[in-house]
Amino acid sequence: MNRMKVSLRHIGIYLLALAGILSAAGCHEIEEQDNTILNNFDMLWKVMDEHYCFFEYKNIDWNEVKVKYRKQAAEARNAKQLFRIMSAMLDELKDGHVNLSAPFETSYYRAWWSDYPQNYNERLVQEKYLFYHYSQFGAAYYYLLSSNIGYLRIPSFEYSLGAGNIDNIFASFLVADALIIDIRDNGGGNMTNADNWISHFIGEEICAGYISHKTGPGHNEFSKPFEMKVKPVEKGHWLWGKPVVILTNRSTFSAANYFATVMKTLPNVTIVGATTGGGSGMPFSAELPCGWGVRFSACPVYAPDGTLTEFGVAPSPGCEVDMSPADEFAGKDTILDFAIRLLTTGSN
Amino acid sequence: MKRSLLLLFSILFTVICVNAQTEEVVLRPVTASYTVGSGSSHLADTYLSPINYNGWSTSLNYDRWQAMKFNPEAWVMNLSFGFDIDRVLNQSGNAVMWSAGVRASWGMLHRWNVAKGLKLGIGPAVNLDLGCLYLDRNSNNPVAAKAAFTVGASAYAAYNFRLRRLPVTLMWQPSLPVVGAFFSPDYGELYYEIYLGNHGGLAHCAWWGNYFNLDNLVSADFHFGATSLRAGYRGRILSSKVNHLVSNHFTHQFVIGLSGEWLSLNPRKVISPKAKRYNALFE
Repeated sequence: MNRMKVSLRHIGIYLLALAGILSAAGCHEIEEQDNTILNNFDMLWKVMDEHYCFFEYKNIDWNEVKVKYRKQAAEARNAKQLFRIMSAMLDELKDGHVNLSAPFETSYYRAWWSDYPQNYNERLVQEKYLFYHYSQFGAAYYYLLSSNIGYLRIPSFEYSLGAGNIDNIFASFLVADALIIDIRDNGGGNMTNADNWISHFIGEEICAGYISHKTGPGHNEFSKPFEMKVKPVEKGHWLWGKPVVILTNRSTFSAANYFATVMKTLPNVTIVGATTGGGSGMPFSAELPCGWGVRFSACPVYAPDGTLTEFGVAPSPGCEVDMSPADEFAGKDTILDFAIRLLTTGSN
Repeated sequence: MKRSLLLLFSILFTVICVNAQTEEVVLRPVTASYTVGSGSSHLADTYLSPINYNGWSTSLNYDRWQAMKFNPEAWVMNLSFGFDIDRVLNQSGNAVMWSAGVRASWGMLHRWNVAKGLKLGIGPAVNLDLGCLYLDRNSNNPVAAKAAFTVGASAYAAYNFRLRRLPVTLMWQPSLPVVGAFFSPDYGELYYEIYLGNHGGLAHCAWWGNYFNLDNLVSADFHFGATSLRAGYRGRILSSKVNHLVSNHFTHQFVIGLSGEWLSLNPRKVISPKAKRYNALFE
């Protein structure tokens, strides 16, 4: 019996030791992060270093950026000062998808649109071309112009419209000779919502581009691009086969940039206006020990021809138009007039 | 040839009939427990955040033990289900992460009555774990789905004794998956890409080096008549590392609930006084 007791005690000790060894060996530690000024700075730098997807494409030396801003961060005396320094560091990426969010402020890189003419005056279009008589479905609104051209305004891809809703919009343009889709100032939203619209303009499945992602922390560690496809809307719904002009400006960004990229590949579609704002990296989020959030481009989305549109989609050849201040003052939208002229006379 | 076959069949039939007549009546009561657990949780998942989260954890658990029909003295089976919900906060307290998961396991354990009142058992078990983490502050990566199917070892040690006049069963039940498969997206892969149809590289072979899941239950059953009170501790260490993504989920819970033994009987059949009863855990 004594032998049995000894054996049992030994078994118990061995089992506990085994459990301890296995626990220590099997656990993968994630370091606790100190909430200090420099550690927050280093953490932000590291998160971007390991996850941001356009370092090589934009030819950014991120180590050099660290040297430049870490000295400043070390001298920061409060959270707001640190926030300004971190925001300035993130601005080096020149990316509209990069934000730092603190309880008192969210940083934005604005130069991607603020350095360019706005090329859009919504009130002018509504007043002088639509006479405030447009119909509206969610955020989208539409009107049959006097030149017998349908005008469709999609201000955002945040909101989805069903195929039936889009059918109704197209039904109101039954007699129209062509369609103008205005996505100026459309800051994006969900790519699936953009796909819903695209599906009404294609008769067969198309390649809408490619998506890739990082496979590791290295700047060049990317997966093989995966083809994205868009299928035509289900049978029984409206397909638009007449000419289409898409109006863009520098504030056409992200999912709207994707919409312009894909629509530009269709034979009956012309892009008119200014080069879009880009934003072809799908964003990821992370956070810092102080609780601030950071958003950044993580997954590059390529155009169907394999190029990146991070810096924008150019208008179709010969269709680059800026809004003239004189025209705007006279109540005219230079870009919209150009599109109407193109569709009615075939010339610009 | 025909005569030989007939002879063989008749011998076999006779053997089977004799066995059926001499087979002892075996009763295999089911030991079942229903418990709730509550305690602390530590969560970290680098797909969602590089920061560790801490908070509370709750669970509902069902555990079922029964001696196995083919050799009730030496083998018992264990079936368990659990549902867990955790709510955890980041270190600055301004973001909440939720975790929800279900787990199921079935094990077949060989047991030994090693001393008076003490049973030890060990055997293989299959485990299924499904769940997800949700961090609402994230834009395109708010969710990390979890799924694993594993085969491993399950063990138990049950000691029956009396605390003054009250019968008590102390039990330690560890389980540890050894191999299997588990789900993980790639390092920076969005679920949107998976939704688009890129399903490559999502399933990974699991072993201790990349998927470690140790579950320990230490409990005491206080037998007040037909029903018992179960109280104890459940600790779980789940840690995985694949595609440069680390995920840790550690919970420590106090569990409390009811347990008992029940037996399915046919009211039209009388139990033979010679019937032999094989309890899975209790005595």
